[in-house]
Formats: sequence, C-alpha cells, structure tokens
Amino acid sequence: MLTLTKPGPPAVRRRGRAALLGTGLAALLLLGSAVHLTQGTASVDALDVLRLLFRGASGDTTAVVVESRLPRLLSALLVGAALGVAGSVLQSVSRNILASPDTLAVNAGAHLSVVAVAAFGVSLPLLGAAGVAFAGGLAAAVFVLALSGTGGTGIVRLVLAGTAIALALISVTQVLLLLYAQETRGLFAWGEGSLEQNGLAGVRTLGPLVGLALAALLGLARRLDLVHVGDDHARTLGVHVGRVRFAAIGLAVLLAAAAVTLAGPIGFVGLAAPALARLLAPVVPGLHRHAALIPFSAALGAVLLLGADVLLRAIISPQRALEVPTGVVTTILGAIFLIVLARTARITSATAEPPAAGARSGVSAIRYRVVLVVLALATVGVAVGAVLLGDAKLLLGDVVNWLSGQAGPLVTGVLDTRVPRVVAALLAGAALALGGALTQAVARNPLAEPGMIGVVGGAGLGAVTVITLVSGVGFWTLTGAAGLGAALAMAVVFAVAARGGFTSERLVLIGFGVHAATQAVVTLLITLSDPWNETKALTWLGGSTYGRTLTHLVPMALVLVLTAPVLVRMRRELDLLALDDETPRVLGVPVVRSRLLLLTCAVLLTGAAVAGIGVLTFVGLVAPHAARAIVGSRHSRLLPAAALLGAILVCVADTVGRTVIAPGQLPAGLMTAIIGAPYFVWLLYRHRRGSALSR
Amino acid sequence: MRITRMILGLTAAATFFVAACGTTEEPTSNAAATGEAGPVTVVDSRGKEVKLPHPAKRVAATEWNGVEHLVSLGVMPVGVSDIKGYGQWVSAGKLDGTPKDIGTRGEPSLDTLGSLGLDLVIVTDSVTEGALEQIEAKVPVIVIKGGNAQDPIAGMYAGLDVIAKATGTETKAAQLKSEFDQKLTTGRAEVGKLGALGQKVAFSDAYVTSGSVSIRPYTKGALVSAVFGKLGLETAWPMAGDPAYGLAQADVEGLTQLPDVRFWYIANNADGDPYQQELANNAIWKNLPFVKSGKVHRFPDSLWMFGGPKSMEQFVDAAVGALKN
Repeated sequence: MLTLTKPGPPAVRRRGRAALLGTGLAALLLLGSAVHLTQGTASVDALDVLRLLFRGASGDTTAVVVESRLPRLLSALLVGAALGVAGSVLQSVSRNILASPDTLAVNAGAHLSVVAVAAFGVSLPLLGAAGVAFAGGLAAAVFVLALSGTGGTGIVRLVLAGTAIALALISVTQVLLLLYAQETRGLFAWGEGSLEQNGLAGVRTLGPLVGLALAALLGLARRLDLVHVGDDHARTLGVHVGRVRFAAIGLAVLLAAAAVTLAGPIGFVGLAAPALARLLAPVVPGLHRHAALIPFSAALGAVLLLGADVLLRAIISPQRALEVPTGVVTTILGAIFLIVLARTARITSATAEPPAAGARSGVSAIRYRVVLVVLALATVGVAVGAVLLGDAKLLLGDVVNWLSGQAGPLVTGVLDTRVPRVVAALLAGAALALGGALTQAVARNPLAEPGMIGVVGGAGLGAVTVITLVSGVGFWTLTGAAGLGAALAMAVVFAVAARGGFTSERLVLIGFGVHAATQAVVTLLITLSDPWNETKALTWLGGSTYGRTLTHLVPMALVLVLTAPVLVRMRRELDLLALDDETPRVLGVPVVRSRLLLLTCAVLLTGAAVAGIGVLTFVGLVAPHAARAIVGSRHSRLLPAAALLGAILVCVADTVGRTVIAPGQLPAGLMTAIIGAPYFVWLLYRHRRGSALSR
Repeated sequence: MRITRMILGLTAAATFFVAACGTTEEPTSNAAATGEAGPVTVVDSRGKEVKLPHPAKRVAATEWNGVEHLVSLGVMPVGVSDIKGYGQWVSAGKLDGTPKDIGTRGEPSLDTLGSLGLDLVIVTDSVTEGALEQIEAKVPVIVIKGGNAQDPIAGMYAGLDVIAKATGTETKAAQLKSEFDQKLTTGRAEVGKLGALGQKVAFSDAYVTSGSVSIRPYTKGALVSAVFGKLGLETAWPMAGDPAYGLAQADVEGLTQLPDVRFWYIANNADGDPYQQELANNAIWKNLPFVKSGKVHRFPDSLWMFGGPKSMEQFVDAAVGALKN
C-alpha cells in the first residue's frame, strides 16, 4: 500500500498558507452555495433568491427555497463534510490511503438495507429509513472490522475484506432490484447517490448527529496524531492505541452512515477529499495535524460534492439533472483525481503483502494429482448437474436421448437452450480464474483481480455503450465493443502506471479508479438514455448466461486455446515474477516484456468472458486464492486448479440462479459474488487465525 | 359377465371423463374455428414476416400489454410473465388461473416456454438480447412495441391488430376498437356536459426513495394522456417524455411550473401513496395552486397505464369520475 507522504519541517514563513487555503475554501463554498441556490426545476432564479433575503418574495418562492433549494444545499455540505472526515479518519487509523466508506462496505451495507426494506413493500418515513440505512451501514462496517481486526496489522486485509463484503452486498442489492423492479423503482439511481431532498427534515435530524461526531473526533485529534505516527511511539507516550482506534473508526462509520442515509452512497468523496488534503500537506504546514486535517477534509469534501452538483446542473439543465445521480459525477471526478494522485504519489512496496492469503507453501506430487483428479471429477459432476437442473428438471436418460438425437420436442427444447448456458458458465469461469491468477501473480497483489484493474469495467462500458447507441446489435458487434473497451481500459491503466515499471500498488490504485469511473459512466449512460429500462442494464451488468447460444461460446473457447500454450511455457517465469522485482531480473527474465505478455493474456481472457456472459467480478479474485490454498503457489499447479475451481464456481452459481426462484432467474455474476464472498471471508478469517497462532 | 360389465362401466366412465376434458378445451377451438383455419402471415413491429401454419391457440406473452390484448381478444394465454404483478396492476383483463408463470418480464424462462407446447410467443423489444433468437428457434415470435410516443393510440392498436391477426380473432379486435371509440365518444360528451372541455390535466405517478419523492409525469406522448386528449382534456406537463412511453421525470419543486390544473395520479396500495404520505406537510406542495383549490385526485388502483383498449376504457371512466368529484 501507499505510505502517506511525510510532512516537511514546518517553516514559519509558510504559516500564512494555511490561512490562505482556509480563506480560499471558504470563498469557494460561499460562491458554490450562492450558485447552487439559483439552480432548480422551479422558475426561481438569482433575483428571486435575493428578493427573499430582503423580505420581498412571494410565498411560492419562500416555499421553494426553504423546502427544496436549502435542503439540497445543506445536505450537499453536510454529506460532503461527513464523508471527507470519515475518509480522513479511516485513512489515518488504518494508515491506508485506500480506506474510505466505499472500501469498508459502509455504503454498500446502508444501500442494501434501504433496498431490502423497499423490496418487501414497507414504505418508511424518513426517520425509519434513516434508522434502517444506519443499521445496515454500521452492521457492514462492524463485520468488516471484526474480520480484519483494528490492530493495525491487517491493513491489506481491511481493504480486502471490505471490498469483498461490499461486492457481495452490492450483489444482493442488485438481486433485490431485479426481483422487485416494481417496488424498488428509482432505487437504482439512488444507489449512486442523489441529493434530492424532501424538506429540511433529513438535514435537521442528521445535522446534529454529524456535528456531534465531528466535535468528538476533533477532541481525539491529538491522540490520532500520535497513533498515525506509529503504534509503539504512541504507546510510549501513554496513548491507549486500541481504544483510540476503535473510537475513531466508530465515529467515522457514524458519519458515513449518516451521509448514506441522507443522500445514498455517494462515491469517492470520502476517498478524494482526505487524499487531496494529504497531498496539500507538504505545501501547507500544519495540515498533517488532525486538528487541522479534520476541518480541512470536511471543507474539501463539501467543496467537492457541492462543486459536482453545481457542475452537473450547469452542464445539463436542472430538469435533465433529475435523472442523473450526483454521486455519478463525484465518482467520475474522484476517479480522475485518484488516477492523478496515484501517478504522483511516492510509492514504496515495503508494506505490500505477497498474494498468498492462506497459502500453502506446497503439497506433495501425489497429493496434488489426487486434488486435480477430484477437481476434474467435481467439474464434470457439476456440469452434469447443471444440465439436469433448472426450471424444468430432467433425468440422465433425457440427456442420452438428446445426445443421440432421439429426444422428444420438450426435452430438445429445454436442452438446446440449456447446454450452451452450462458450457458458457464453465468456459467463462475458467477464463476469469486464469485471468485473475495471472494478474495477481504479475501485479504481486492479492487485490489485483481483472475487475480491480479496470479491465472488466472497461469491457462492460464498451458493451453498454453499443447497446445504448445502437438498437438490436448483434453478438459480434457486442464482443468487439467489449474487447475494445477492455483494451482501452488496459491501455489507460498501463500508460498511466508505466512510470516506474508497473509498480504493483500503482497499478491497482489506478485500475481501481478506472473501474469506478467506468461503472459510473455506465450508470450515466443508462439513466440518461433509458431510465425506465433498468432491468435490462442490471441483467447485463450482473453477468448472465441467459440467452446464450453456441456462437457466444466461440470467443471464450478461442482465447482459452490460444493462451494455454503461452501459460504452459511461462509457468516458471510466473513463479519468479510473483516473488519480487529483483530475482527474475537476476535470473535473466525480461521482466517488463514478460509482464506485458502475461497481462495481455489476462486481458484477452477477461475480455472474452465479459463479452460472453457479462460482468463477473468475483471469480478472478476467489478462484486463484482458493487454488493457492489447496495446491500451493507453484503456477504449474496453481493455474489448472484455479481454472477448474473457476469453472465450478460459475457453473454452480449459474445453476443456483436458474433454479432457486424458477421460473424467474438471477444473473450468474450476482450469484458468484453471493457464493464467493463468504468463502473469501472464510479464507481471510482462517488466515488471521493461522497467523495469530504462528506468532 | 361381471368382467365385461365392469369393462363397459369403466369405458363409459372414461368416455365421460374424456368428454368432460373436451368441454374445457372447447372454447379455444371454437374461437379458432370462427377464424380461417388456414395458414396466417403477419408482419410484426420489427418488420419481420412471421408465418403460422394456423391461427395460434397456445400463446404466451412476456409483457403485460400483450397479455391484456390476448385476454380481451378472448384468447386465454398459456404463459404469462410475473403473474402476481399483473394481478396487482392490470384489472382490465383478468386471468382465469390457468396460465403458467414464465418468470420476469425481461428474462422469461426459456425452460418453461419450451415446455408449454406453444404456437406463438408475444414479446416486446425489452426482452434481453439473445433470448429472442432462442425462443424463435422453437416457436414463432411476434415482437410488439411497448409504446409509441409519436401516436400512442395507433401504437396500441398496432399491437392489438397484429395479435388479433395471428390468433384469428380479428372480428373481436374490430369489436374492441369500436367499443373503445364508442367509449371515447360518450366520455367526451360527458366531459362536455361537465363543462370541462379544453381543461388542463397533469397525470403522474410517484415513488419514494429514502424520504424524497420522485415524480413521473405522463407527458403528451403517453398513452393515458392521448386518451385524455380524445376526451377533450389537454395535458399540462411542459417537458418532453421518452420516445417509447412518453414518461419524464420531475421533483416537487418542478411542480411549481404547473398552473391551476387538475392534478391526477395513480398509486397502488401495495406500494403506498407518496403524495398523501410524504408530501402532506411539504410547504411547496401545500402552496401549489391545484392543491389549494382541491383539484388533486387519486385514480382507482390497478389501472394499467400501458395497457390495451380495456384498460384505457377504465381510464375514461376514471377521468369522468374525477371530473364529477
């Protein structure tokens, strides 16, 4: 992970800069607020607002300003400040620049609970909804923290667990949105964060809460400074590190949950605002102290969110802006910012963990063969089961008849549509697992899943762009667009990360930004072009084998056949590349060229899988980890095992999705996340126990 | 002797049983018999010629407007998407309990569709890419449009007509259309009697997300608005809707753009009433001219806004009812 930039020695001459920055931010906030008040769907403009100030306005204007404009403005300020501070504190406490309400699953948990309540037909008043969102966000955060511990050792694990759980929660949310499309209308857009308010009630309820949490954190500022410098250092100065950490995280979660309740999960403000503050810290003396950092993060968060909202409504009219959640804009802006940050930030790889959560060093050859045979048998078993199960249950005799061309019309009808789906699931699972294993090895990072480095997002964006712009596109156009999107995303990520020879942290950080940006643009495309057809977009983005025919299988099969010989030849280089930067170089491996070749394979594998069955985010992360835990980290063994595990995972997910709510169906991608996340969490948990024992 | 008698008795019972089965099947075969039994060719909204060996009897529909068309044409569908939701939102074409649920409207189960022994499947353009070809590989498929904001009533008729031709129920379709015309004429006369001709109405529905209300206006291109137009009531929404359904988006603040119109809306008890529940204490809402003058009216539940002539007849009644209120 990144080490945070150490502040330079405070120079007295520069003391005025903090004041200057403060004045600048205050001016920006004032100006932004003034513009913000004049924007809206009612014909109330700047003059009317001015007249209101001098008590000359009609009741109409007063009502609009008080019930609509002011609440929106205040909630933008409140939410921005809360997220900025929450992110800042979480980053300090975990010493991890990626920690934020987004990556700790707070947003996802709150969103899920709100959608769940709506799906089951309960219409709650604001306070009820607030309570529900709060409980959901808090539960998710507590779960993540309980898994990873707050002891400071689990920095990577914190983000890993948070991301995994967030992905699973988002998937459950999307399942609910798909199943209860009628009941949850509008929650798709809200899921990206929207500042729409209905009167001042929300601000009035949550404002004091945010204020209290802010005050409490300011009270902790001095101790946070010490904890941030180092655990031992703080302990020698008599600070109870664990207690401070616990209190700070609790307060940060409280702030984030309040923000989600008010405006939905607004992306990236909690990441960008504090990161920006830290970026300014070397220039502005004193900013690294929490007494200054917390208020500045709050102000920066408010400026970011307010600016995004003003910009959105200035570019497309306020009427059109109703369809676009503000969170989409903050995410796009935040992602660009993150990419720039990752380019310039100083990165050391000292804190990186090897990609071996719960890995075995190796198993005996016999044991490996037994494992491989068992996995192969399991794959066959799962495939047969998947062919038999579904909305209509079949028996083996039916399949035999179908194979020999003797089946009746009903069985033929079912199997003709089902077999391609099963094969698609198997191929996509294998391709994604291989892609994930390659990326993790080359990037030497357990987080480096093709989804995480933006390739899956790019492919998805390419496909959705074509679906949106052209009606009734054929599959090959779609594949081309997905491939092009994946390649473009890869080009962007690599071009930006090229500085310093693809350092793994930089790659993941930039990829993460690209992934978030592509997801936001997809949402933007859907909400602007086809706001009433959420199901179609969600279905495609969820990764579904629905409607797959034999042609859909061709790209995946082709890529698997093409990459297999490359992987067989490169298996030793992979082992070396996964070690460190120096060893392969010493042994004469052309590091940059090998990395590029292997990552191109990973991109091809992922792109084909995304084109074939849509966005599946979890397989590339889970399957290689599981394989590593079972057969050890030698790639000649790891790759076959991972491919089989990936195939099994997607095939099981697909079968479950087709069967449990038949005749309705759930996309396989959502099911892989729901099935895969608990396994992954178990892996993390087991690893934690293991490392505790060995200590 | 005894055995023979038993066999005779059993045969008789079996005959009666089979005969009883035959009578439940009869209405559909009668309906088909009135049309020509020969091959039918229809051109659907894709412009594709769909050839059927005989008028379709066993039909499934993935979208609720297709289902309603079938029911009102006297052809009880064999497969229907999201039957629970249909029952909640569409009261104009009641199902008789025989149709099988084929899953969601966007992703109908191909297994179930394959096992129903269908003559024809009716879908709208919102079915997922790839599925259309797979259904079509087994059963003829007709694609109808979900809506047509250019001419909504003609769009509705286009769907009805193509389904009627494919099922050999064109006489029934003509009857439905003339009944609907009749309904519009009498409705317009009633509107005139009530002195409301040329008055402005704004029809919408709304939903709540985390305490804030989003409003969905039915603009000039919406089917419901077109029906109101035929009654002599003008649509007041200023904004443009989407090209298929004529739907737009508004917030509470945006309602101040409306003059003192008749503000009509539809809600469903299953989902609650955002206008009454969320906006009752909102100052903007209370200040709106039509709220002050008491011109807000909630329509009866379960009238399908995107349905066929029968649903639209319900809207005519509801509109006249609202004017009398």
